[in-house]
Amino acid sequence: MITASLLRRRSRMLIALLSIGIGATILAGLVTIYVDVPRQMGAQFRSYGANMLVLPQEGAVLKRDHLAGILENIPQTELIGATPYRYVRLDMTSRQQSFTAAGTDFSQVPRTSPYFSVEGSYPDSTREVLVGKNIADTIGLKVGSTMELTYQPTASPETADPEKSRLPDAELAGSAEGFGGGMVYVSIKLDEHSAIASLKIDADTQTPEYGGRAAEDEAFLKQFIGKTLPLTLGENVDALSGATVTSEAVVRAMNDARKAEKTVRPQTLNFTVAGILTTGGEEEDYIFLSLEDMEALTGSEQLDVVELSVSAAADQLEAYADAISQNSDTVRARLVKRVTRSEASVLEKLTALVFLVTLVVLLLTMICVSTTMMAVVSERRREIGLRKALGASDSSIRAEFLGEGIFLGLLGGVMGGVLGFVFAQVVSVNVFGSSITFQPLLLPVAVIVSMLIAALSCLLPIKHAVAIDPALVLKGE
Amino acid sequence: MSLLELKNISKIYGELKALDNVSLHVDQGEWVAIMGPSGSGKSTMMNIIGCMDKPTMGEVLLDGIDISRESSKSLTDIRRDKIGLIFQQFHMVNYLTAVENVMVSQYYHSMPDEKEALEALERVGLRERARHLPSQLSGGEQQRVCVARALINHPELILADEPTGNLDEANENIVLDLFAQLHKEGTTLIVVTHDPEVADAAQRTIVLEHGKVAREVINENFGK
Repeated sequence: MITASLLRRRSRMLIALLSIGIGATILAGLVTIYVDVPRQMGAQFRSYGANMLVLPQEGAVLKRDHLAGILENIPQTELIGATPYRYVRLDMTSRQQSFTAAGTDFSQVPRTSPYFSVEGSYPDSTREVLVGKNIADTIGLKVGSTMELTYQPTASPETADPEKSRLPDAELAGSAEGFGGGMVYVSIKLDEHSAIASLKIDADTQTPEYGGRAAEDEAFLKQFIGKTLPLTLGENVDALSGATVTSEAVVRAMNDARKAEKTVRPQTLNFTVAGILTTGGEEEDYIFLSLEDMEALTGSEQLDVVELSVSAAADQLEAYADAISQNSDTVRARLVKRVTRSEASVLEKLTALVFLVTLVVLLLTMICVSTTMMAVVSERRREIGLRKALGASDSSIRAEFLGEGIFLGLLGGVMGGVLGFVFAQVVSVNVFGSSITFQPLLLPVAVIVSMLIAALSCLLPIKHAVAIDPALVLKGE
Repeated sequence: MSLLELKNISKIYGELKALDNVSLHVDQGEWVAIMGPSGSGKSTMMNIIGCMDKPTMGEVLLDGIDISRESSKSLTDIRRDKIGLIFQQFHMVNYLTAVENVMVSQYYHSMPDEKEALEALERVGLRERARHLPSQLSGGEQQRVCVARALINHPELILADEPTGNLDEANENIVLDLFAQLHKEGTTLIVVTHDPEVADAAQRTIVLEHGKVAREVINENFGK
């Protein structure tokens, strides 16, 4: 009979249902957004750039190979991007001028620095560069322009301390004048006892059939392994037959390398401009090239910093940073405080705002439902009087209205749970530009909450219904 | 045997004495009419007999229970169990069908029983109109549904408030015939009216004036 009663009073009940439904929709939507806001905004904030930096620990060298190990500390789903950087000064041959160059991974740059604006495109192969706008303007570079960049080793033998303990895996390089004034270059790796672990010789300037063999002759190369610098030709190492001058140059270069931080032969490569970068920041004074090119120029896989963009709350970020620092001897991670702090405070304000709006909507829904139910009660005043005259007790009137209200709450809740998700989705897509995942728990919560709201809203109307005097039906009104 | 007894009841609203020291005695199976101009205290008396109001002073015995001392909750129970009500405005629930309107009364009394409700409609000659909504019924038909609703729970007393006030003569006669039938079956009837013809159908007429019983008329032609 209740359903029949509801069905035949469609229009009024539809309004009540609609008000509960709309209220539940907005509530469910807001709660979804409320729950999703940190994630949403987290992703949003990531457009302001990296929020974590990984740097080499003092006395250690950060290399590309370390990257995978570092990233193991952060869940894949929360990692937006990880961009390695290696900064060096490069000379531009045509201009007799040097610029700061950054070697990086162009596939990651847009993820950690979404605000980078590139005219043309990001380089997608080696020997292509991205040129900062200031440089491009100064020298008149355009997309497609070519240039020659040279890496000049900067270390000076005078400042290097030969007794200083070497970095593990560090490459020592040295050079010396060989036969006919041509330069001979060596690059050595030492083991933990400062003995020679491996070496490479570049003797391209020497006569190929004599001194030039120094680079390949196995017996000549092998005798150096396990020996400690400095060396003397004829005492602890033998000369390459028929190439005494070159051999002497090699030994001198090696002894020289012992003192040097780094001395490698200047490398020159040709590049094409793939894009011009505008950022409004200091990056406009840089030239960006691929890490592969950077390695080819400098002969080293060393990195200066890795910028990470991680979508996580401030305390979680802190935990990741600690994990990275603790799990590694080579690197330490720190947060870009300026970014993480402002994120946290904006998030806090935003959740507070959504919470407030949710409360207001809750209140408005209750007022709306209560008013509708009040109208229902006064519309059915005579009927309620009649029912009471026919013997309906106060509790059965109460139960009837409460039942009706809760039933409407149930319908409205189901409607709100489903539409609320759609609403949240629309808001999310339009405001945050990303879709949200459906939370299955939302539906029962929406239903229970709207049933509660409906029941609460019915309390006052029910009080009025119960107070109706059955005698009114006798008065011939 | 006495079913209803009012003993010196008064109902006072501030200065106004709606009922002033009224006594009345109705026997089981009796058919009594109550007449009087508006403001005479008819409605107040009806409310008190119908267990919807209590007198300021005096005693009301219904089937041996002093209803002037009962709480309003037990008054509801007494009204439901002992009294069938018929109103001038019919008061049907307009979104329920005729048979459902009859069942509303069953619902509050015991259990809705459609078969029984249909039988009650059959008695008032509306078996065919059982599935119609009030808006599809004439005034006379609506009042007959209300008679069916009043008698469905076999009340001791049927209390009718101007039952023919909104009916044409033909329907008035149908309703009065139904009353006569109920009377024959032993149901006690109290009919409040200002229509002398309706009053004349009863065995006895009580005339109220200014809250007092002005006179009592025995209908000598009753049953003839």
